[in-house]
Amino acid sequence: MCEENSFVPNDSLIEEFMDLPELLARVENDRELLTELLVMFRNELPELQNALHDAIDLGDLAQAAKVAHTLKGMSANMSLRRGTSLITEIEAAAKSGDIPVLTKRLVALDTEITGLSAAIDALTVGTQ
Amino acid sequence: MRILIADDEPVSLRMLEKTLQRAGYEVTAVRNGREAVEKLCHSDGPRLALLDWMMPELDGPAVCREVRSRRGQSHVHLILLTSKNSKQDVVKGLASGADDYLVKPFDPEELKARLHTGLRILQLEDNLLEAREEMRYKATHDALTALLNRGTIVELLARELTRTRRENGCTIAVLGDLDHFKLVNDTHGHLVGDEVLCEVARRLLGSVRSYDFVGRYGGEEFLLVLNNCDAKMSMQRAEEIRAAVCQSPFVTSRGPMSITLSVGVIASRDREHLCVEELLCEADRALYSAKAAGRNCSRLA
Repeated sequence: MCEENSFVPNDSLIEEFMDLPELLARVENDRELLTELLVMFRNELPELQNALHDAIDLGDLAQAAKVAHTLKGMSANMSLRRGTSLITEIEAAAKSGDIPVLTKRLVALDTEITGLSAAIDALTVGTQ
Repeated sequence: MRILIADDEPVSLRMLEKTLQRAGYEVTAVRNGREAVEKLCHSDGPRLALLDWMMPELDGPAVCREVRSRRGQSHVHLILLTSKNSKQDVVKGLASGADDYLVKPFDPEELKARLHTGLRILQLEDNLLEAREEMRYKATHDALTALLNRGTIVELLARELTRTRRENGCTIAVLGDLDHFKLVNDTHGHLVGDEVLCEVARRLLGSVRSYDFVGRYGGEEFLLVLNNCDAKMSMQRAEEIRAAVCQSPFVTSRGPMSITLSVGVIASRDREHLCVEELLCEADRALYSAKAAGRNCSRLA
């Protein structure tokens, strides 16, 4: 069953978004755990993404920095390439109050998350 | 080894949990700082912890501060594992009481190596505590009989006198001296004498309640401190203790031997004016009366 649900043949789908060798090393080549983590990550993303938008819309930059920090930790753990850089920039912009950079990076992050979520969905279909 | 991990972010928590379980740890996972403090401050709580910085209720540094102030003597090895990676954050984290600091994302090998260092420190602490306990025991007990030594039994008598006087109670001090013990040593040698002393200690301990104290006061002298006693029972208790020692021959490597004990006993009631030294002096006089009366008997001060 596990083999059927694993994404081994389709690693390339998520390699665009994450450093897969690094992530595999972090989970000590446990592909079952990797699938579980991808599903968890995918499920956590919308809530954090919405929280980030809400905080920015309300002008609550401290809260935005806090949410971005959580997202940054998660993204780094999952070895996201562009995602981690973008969130790091968003956290820094929220802390310094740089609204133009914040807005610009948020748009890029949304695009990244959309692509990443679709890739994870495609890979883990049947495991959720 | 048990380890606590605290992180409000589920992906990180699961990743850590699995890595640590694979490395042989028994993992307790919590998702906020308050819960982490409660688990770590429990007397039987984990002694190794990985803490995220930003968590609901209490953040990682606050957890470190609270654990350090509440846990008491036993050390807990605390490691902060966080995305905060500036030098100031590291300094702030360590200043809060963390023993180590790791930046996310973690490398499993490095994480395991750091935890191994933590275990080494905990082992060192255990060895030190064990050595301290051994030294404390040696400083308070007689090496031959394992009874309390003179300094300790006298100190306990002083403490009990203060307590019973405050509570209007009564403490009984029983001073016993083996009869003709020098003869045992001179005839059979000191090793046999030691065997007799150990057996006397065993019989004395068997003759009192679990909350009474028995000490070796001198070479062949023993002091017993009996708490919360009725003063009128002093002689009866002294006689019971004496009889417990003499009841049957001692089995030694040189064959069976009859050993007897002379006893001087004193009750603290109505002697509120006496300090511990004066009380012992009175008990000693009573003991010498017992010796003068032919030995193997008890006398009340």
